[in-house]
Formats: sequence, structure tokens, C-alpha cells
Amino acid sequence: MPPQDPAALPLAGIRVMDVATVIAAPYCATILGEFGADVLKVEHPIGGDALRRFGTPSQRGDTLVWMSESRNKRSVTLDLRKPEGVALFKELIAKTDVLCENFRTGTLEKWGLGWDVLHAINPRLIMLRVTGYGQTGPYSDRPGFARVAHAVGGIAYLAGMPKGTPVTPGSTTLGDYMTGLYGCLGVLMALRHRDLTGEGQYVDAALYESVFRCTEELAPAFAMYGTVRERQGSSHNDFACPHGHFATKDGKWVAISTATDKLFRRLAMAMGRPELAASSTYGEQKTRLEHRHDVNEIVRDWCGSLTREQVLERCYATDTPAGPLNNIADIFGDRQFHARRNLVSFDDPETGESIIVPSPVPALSETPGSIRSLGPKLGEHTEEVLTDVLGMTSAQIADLRAKRVI
Amino acid sequence: MRVNDHADRTSEPSVTSGPAAEKAAAGDAPRPLTGIRVIDVGNFLAGPYAAAMMGEFGAEVLKVEHPIGGDPMRRFGTPTSRPDATLKWLSESRNKKSVTIDLRQADGVQLFLRLVAKSDVLIENFRPGTMEEWGLTWEALTAANPRLVMLRVSGYGQTGPYRRRSGFAHIAPAFGGLNYLAGFPGETPVLPGTVPLGDYIASLYGAIGIMVALRHREKTGRGQIIDVGIYEAIFRMMEEIASVYGVSGKVREREGSGSFVAVPHGHFRTRDDKWIAIACTTDKMFERLSVAMGQPQLSSSGLYGDQRKRLAARETVNVIVTEWVASLDRTDVLRLCLDEEVPVGNVNSIADIFEDEHYIARGNLARILDEELGEIVVPGVVPTLSATPGRITNLGPTLGNATDAVMRELLGLTAAELQRLRQQKII
Repeated sequence: MPPQDPAALPLAGIRVMDVATVIAAPYCATILGEFGADVLKVEHPIGGDALRRFGTPSQRGDTLVWMSESRNKRSVTLDLRKPEGVALFKELIAKTDVLCENFRTGTLEKWGLGWDVLHAINPRLIMLRVTGYGQTGPYSDRPGFARVAHAVGGIAYLAGMPKGTPVTPGSTTLGDYMTGLYGCLGVLMALRHRDLTGEGQYVDAALYESVFRCTEELAPAFAMYGTVRERQGSSHNDFACPHGHFATKDGKWVAISTATDKLFRRLAMAMGRPELAASSTYGEQKTRLEHRHDVNEIVRDWCGSLTREQVLERCYATDTPAGPLNNIADIFGDRQFHARRNLVSFDDPETGESIIVPSPVPALSETPGSIRSLGPKLGEHTEEVLTDVLGMTSAQIADLRAKRVI
Repeated sequence: MRVNDHADRTSEPSVTSGPAAEKAAAGDAPRPLTGIRVIDVGNFLAGPYAAAMMGEFGAEVLKVEHPIGGDPMRRFGTPTSRPDATLKWLSESRNKKSVTIDLRQADGVQLFLRLVAKSDVLIENFRPGTMEEWGLTWEALTAANPRLVMLRVSGYGQTGPYRRRSGFAHIAPAFGGLNYLAGFPGETPVLPGTVPLGDYIASLYGAIGIMVALRHREKTGRGQIIDVGIYEAIFRMMEEIASVYGVSGKVREREGSGSFVAVPHGHFRTRDDKWIAIACTTDKMFERLSVAMGQPQLSSSGLYGDQRKRLAARETVNVIVTEWVASLDRTDVLRLCLDEEVPVGNVNSIADIFEDEHYIARGNLARILDEELGEIVVPGVVPTLSATPGRITNLGPTLGNATDAVMRELLGLTAAELQRLRQQKII
């Protein structure tokens, strides 16, 4: 991806302060940065964001996920536990459009940096507050992590074999990313409102709520019929059959989804058994759902007799919705990922290490997001920002450094 | 959650004729998307959920549907006594107005273009190439409205070799790498919670794209296309997996209920046969857990105080936690952990959620009235904005409930013209 002039991007001129840690609120700032905002990553002078240490390290020492998700950010160190740090933070707030934070509820207030204080300093400020349970309600002071949010939000209960142990729904950080997305959407709505009225506001995002919001009709079905959805393993046959994961002869997996009778007819053609879609056999969804074990077994046997490539080739030939369960090695070899440039490689200027990261999503035709740099070193931009944004002298900066405020 | 008059399905909804009219109808708080008109011509959730969110925050959303049957989501999912509405439709078509137009007829296409000329955002999720076949190319759409912002959601995106393949339901998330990772090591990969997760996530990315594009439009007067492949929305969230494979060739595998980077970090069964999630990401959290368990010696440096030691002794540590959790009821495990500030939470079923005081306090279960069905409980608006909160004004509309109003008030059609269009089954 060619580096783009950030001044031409739609969020150029917006300054974001990301004082958050790990992924949830920081991911909101990441997206804003991809679309041109100037993101200042404000970190504790000792160690900085814990994401620098969470996961697999790069040659430089900071983790790969840090390198990827702190893309385009500038690192500024500031100790908010010191009064001078708080004073500096307030000065920066006066020059900031969006603040992203995910401290436990009450933490910023304890440092004298609650919403009322910040809003008084900068009435146009928009503040994203991400926590496990939100700023209100009886659990608001509990610690929250994505794993707990998946559980509380209702999707962990649904992932796993029937009556078996509930499993991680694919990734332990899914809820973090989802909350980053909801938070970012809220911030963009709030920016629009501010541009129209001059009025800032805060966005209160909870990890568990982001997860729960995506549980489709679970809530209305329980309220109306008392239905409690349970774990269903690799096939979800509430409304459609076959509809799940099937193993192939070469020990790989495919996903097949026949939501309608028309799609099942196509699958029957792909299997070389069009008679299965006759009205007297399994042509109707209702019949297939009643005989889900038989239908699933037929599909399982067919998939098990062929390699993944063969199964998919036959499904694609009849336009049956099917696809591979890709692992990361499959993804690196896949033509679609290459054609869409979903993977982009950067060389760390310090170590020369090549680091491959996912490109920005979504793709915009006129103003595509861009990655101008990967995650910064701790405090890499402290001087630059204090000089340019706050107009401080090198003597003042040296003094702050001596006092370990920065 | 306020229920207003718009939930009355028999009354004909009026069409916004200006910002003032919308403001008057909006109720208490202002909403940031007031005055924005969205056409949602998609089916099911991938894309239409972006329209639902925009509607929550004040946009006027016109759901354009085929005159016969409309969106298939009306029939997919748990049925209600309304033949045109499953629970899924009622919940996720919230705040929309239904307008019928047959895009397979030339007159329908012309009508649609006139509607596009009066709108800000168009959302679609047909198989790439379908709208073009109907003559609804980007050129034709922008000729009608150069300021148009268009969200296109599909399984694989608008470009690349697989763009014409269908990527419904769990297929795109499987392709994006998520489904491979759900399940126990070496065993069957399971569905990661819910089937349409990828549709929701793609819609979130799409809505962000729309907001960014609207901002660009305010500055430059120019619209643009947002192109979202469901698979890449999922892939974007795979944290370090691509980078790790890139530097070391290490392929992430299924990790069951646990985590590769921290122990104990997973789901544990309680004495009363329920499940609880415990996430000790750091040594400090494990120390708190060992206190909660009444076995503080476990977190000594000689034993399991160090994450590396716990990872090396993963089985042993997990057995200790599993046995402790199994000796107590869920409420007791929860209380003991919370007292020590250990990150912990119930693995909630939907029944658990309905009893949860926090869900109730946060208004996550919104009770909205449907005239025919009575009260329907749906997930409330996320996220919460302090000055301009979103709201639910009505559940999924009946098919074509706003056709006449839109055609008359927005496009200026006469009663005679409407009758002709209806006879020809164009609307």
C-alpha cells in the first residue's frame, strides 16, 4: 500500500489522544488514524501500554500485535499519577478532539480528570470510555476483559459441542475489537453532532454490550417462547440444514450453508445426487430439519470421500454457498487475500524485520485508509509533541524528564 | 426505552420533508444523523444492520424491498403470528420504513434512481454484479446523485477472483480464519457463538465507512463507495495471528476454552452445573485468584506466581482451578472472585441474561410495542452517547408500509400513477 498524504484523508485535522491500553479503546483510535487523524498514544513513562508485552515479541522487543495495532500512532509518555502530568494532560486536552480511555470506572476521576473537568477545559471534546460493564449499573466497577465479556454477553455459552465445555469463540480478543468498532462509530456520530452544534459528549461503551448486541434473535425468542439456545457444535440447524462445518478426506474442513431449498438443490447437484432435493425426499427445509441427522450424515459422508479442494470445486460449480475453514497458512496462500491486498508488509526501520499486518478495513474508493508507520517506540514522539503542540522549550522538557513526569 | 407513535403499524408513516419536521418528530434529545436519508436495499443482516444503527441515531431509513415477499429475513428465524415477520426481522429492521420497488423492471429502476437522487446513503448486499445487471451502476447512481455514499457488503468484496461467490452466514467468517480457531485442539471446529456474527461485524465496519465518507462529503461535496468483504472484516480482528505466521511460520490452532498466552484463562464448571469464565491475564490477577481460592501459596515464586511457570504447568494449574470451581456453586465462585477483584463472569445463557440486574440497569433489554404482537424484547441501542443517545422508534415494518407516503411526498407521484405502478407490480 503506497503511503498517502494524510492531509488528504477525511479525518485530517482531528487530533486523538489514546490514553487507553491493550485493544478495545485503542482500536477505535487506530481506525481514526488510518483515516487521517493525528493519534497521540499517551503512555506511562515506565513500560507504557501493556500491549507492548502481550503476545509474541518482535525483534525490537515490542510485541507484533503492538506493532500492528498501534499503526500510525505517535507515542508520548506522561505520568498521570503525578500532578505535573495531570497539568500537562489538561493542556493537551485543550488541543484535542477525541480522547479514548479504558481505565476502570472512577480512575480518571480519582486523578481529577473526570468528564466534568475535561468538558469544562474543552467543551468540544469527545470522549470514548470503554469498560467491561459500562460507566453505570451495579457491575460498573468490576474488572472486565474480553473473555469475561464473551461469557457475560452470551456468545461463549453458545460456542462448543452440545453439553460440552463452552469454548473460546475463535479469538480471546473478539469483544475488544467489536467494542473498538462500536466506540469508533459512536465517536464519528459525536463528531458529526459537534460539527453541527459545537457540543462535545462522551460515548459509554461496554465490552459485554458489544457482544450481546450481536446475538440476533436470542432475546426476543426467549421473551416470547422461553427458548434458551444451547451449544450446537459444528452445525447450527435452528432454521436451516445442512448448515455447518464438515471434515474432508485430507483432514481439512469446509463450511456449507444451505439456508433455502434452492441452495440445497444446488448442493444436491454438486453431490451428484439431485434426487435428494426431490419433494418426496429432502427438498423442503422442514423435512431436512426433521431429519437433520440423516441429512448431515449424507453431507458428512460426501465431504469425507473427497479432498477439500474437490468438495469446494464441486460446490462452486453449482453455486452452492461453501468455503474453506482457513487457517493462517491457508490465508497467506489465498488468491483473494492477495487480490484484495488484505496483508501488507512493513520493515521495522530499527531492526529491518519484515512485519506483515492486516490492512485497513473498510475499503473506501476515494479516501482509502492507510498505514503510514507501525507501532512507535515508547516515548518516540514525546519531545516533538510537547514542542509542536504545547510550544514547550527543551529546558522545560528536560526538567519534566528529570522529574520522570514524561 | 421510549415507545412512540411510529410503532403503530397501521398509521401511515410520514416522510421527512425537512430538518425541522424531523427534529419535531425526534422527541427529547437531538440525534446526530437527523436529516440523513438512507436507502437499504439489502437482504438479511450484512449491510442492513448498518442501516439499523444509522436509524437508531436519527437517519430516516427506507427499506426498499421486492413487492412480492420482500426481504427473505421476514421469513428466516423464529416465526411470530405476523406472517411477514420473524423475530429476527422485527428486531433488526427497527426504525425502518418499508417501500416496495421491483428492481427487475425498468420502471422500477427509474423509480429507484429518483429515490437515490433524494437520498444520502445507499446500502446494498447483492452478489457483486447484480445491481450492474439491472442498470444500477455506480455511474448511473452518481449521475442521479453525485453526493451519494454507497455501502456494498458481500462475502468476498467487490474485487478479486472470488467476488462472485456467495459468502452467507458462517462461510465468510470461516474463510476469514475465525471458525478454524473455535473448538478443542485436534477436534471438530465449532461455530464461534452465533452464525451471523460476521454479518454484524461487517455492518459495523460499513457504518464506520459511511460516517467517514459523509465527513469527506461535507468537505468536498463528493460521495464514494465503501466496499466491505465479510471475510476481511473478520480477518482484520485476528490480532497477532498474521504477523506471527509472517515472522515464524507458526499456525495458530484451536485452543479449546483456554488461551495460549495466559493461565488460568478459560471456562470452568461449577458445582451447580453452570459455567464461569476466569481470565488471569497477569501475575497480579493470579495472585488475587489464589487468595480467593484460599490457597495464597500457589502464587509464590516457588510455585505458580510467574506466568511462564503457569504456562509450563498449564494442566496442573487448570486442574487446581477446575477442582476449586467444581466444589462451589456459581454464585459463590463469583462472589469470592469479585471480592478479590479477579476478572470473572458468568457464562450466561439468554435465560441468565434476562435475570441479570446489570442488563436491566443498563437498558440492554428494550421492550418495544408491536400493535399486533404486543411487547417484543430486543437488544437496546449500542453504543450509549451522552448528549445524543440513539433510540428505537419502531420494530420491523410491514411490507410496503411507507410506499405510498414516500412515492407521494418524496417523488411527487399522483394517485393515478401509484395505481398504475401497483397494477404493473412495480411497487
